[in-house]
Amino acid sequence: MTERIDALQAIVERNQVWPRMAAKWGVENPVPPWKTSLDGLCDALDHASCDADVPNFKERRDEEDALSATVYSGLPYPENQLVSLAHSLVARGIIDEAELKKRLVSIRERLDAL
Amino acid sequence: MTDHDHDHDRTVKPMVDEITDFEVLEIALRELCIEKGIFTAEEHRRFTEFAEQIGPTPAARLVAKAWLDPEFKKLDLAEPMTARKEVGVDWMEPSSFGTPSDFTAFQILADTPTVHNVIVCALCSCYPRPILGNSPEWYRTPNYRRRMVRWPRQVLAEFGLYLSDEISIRVQDSNQKHRFMVMPLQPEGTEGWDEDQLAEIITRDCLIGVALPKAGVTTNVITEPRPALHPGTAG
Repeated sequence: MTERIDALQAIVERNQVWPRMAAKWGVENPVPPWKTSLDGLCDALDHASCDADVPNFKERRDEEDALSATVYSGLPYPENQLVSLAHSLVARGIIDEAELKKRLVSIRERLDAL
Repeated sequence: MTDHDHDHDRTVKPMVDEITDFEVLEIALRELCIEKGIFTAEEHRRFTEFAEQIGPTPAARLVAKAWLDPEFKKLDLAEPMTARKEVGVDWMEPSSFGTPSDFTAFQILADTPTVHNVIVCALCSCYPRPILGNSPEWYRTPNYRRRMVRWPRQVLAEFGLYLSDEISIRVQDSNQKHRFMVMPLQPEGTEGWDEDQLAEIITRDCLIGVALPKAGVTTNVITEPRPALHPGTAG
């Protein structure tokens, strides 16, 4: 479970964590704007865990704790929660790493389009 | 003279004007889960709306009402699921359909002059979200979870809460089926206050039990999460 995942490692290394971004842009919000959507994502996953082959609440939190203390110990919260969740989903084969990489590129293109 | 009367001096709060990798990652995970049929976009939207509207205000109101009305306090302690409807929280249907980790039994733990309550989830991060909002970061950390159940007096002191030896500390462990919040004692110097005034000093930390309400204090303690160190091996 703690084997490094390239796509996520690249995100960690780029280090666009909220405390740094908020300081750079003079923003006071204590948490990033995607936090509640991540909360919704975690709840939706927990809700689905009875029917779908996804980690349940306890497994998800245990893996988050283990990964946040090791592979992602350099990330603040909630970035460590998000990246740990991504790691769990890739490590369990629910999301394929190549598929994730491709999607990260296409979403960034979409969001950066003017 | 202008032909309109809006305020030109208004300033817009700054925002982060760049897309971060973390924002992209959150969207990617969500889209892939929806495409794989793990959950629907509608389910995600409703859970997100739930996460956006929760906060500690209903719990503070619940305690303020109890301080002012002994009958309401009896209801709080005997029928907390009924009492919280008085502050606008229907726990059984927090977002019209419930959330998997919040559909649960709920109990309010009343402090006494000799017993102080504090809540924890030793296993993960169970928390009474519908009435208290999202848990603070430190509540989720293994450090708080493991150490609070072993050395509550020391951990409370780290929050700045020093309790005398005559006061026993009861640590209540939450779990997937049972959630708790603390009802602290009304502090001195607040006699004659109304519900709004009282609710202001009943902070999230007081409702978890890591602080006591105090006239003039309306903010939570700020603590930096830290790695767990065993007292026997630390320094």
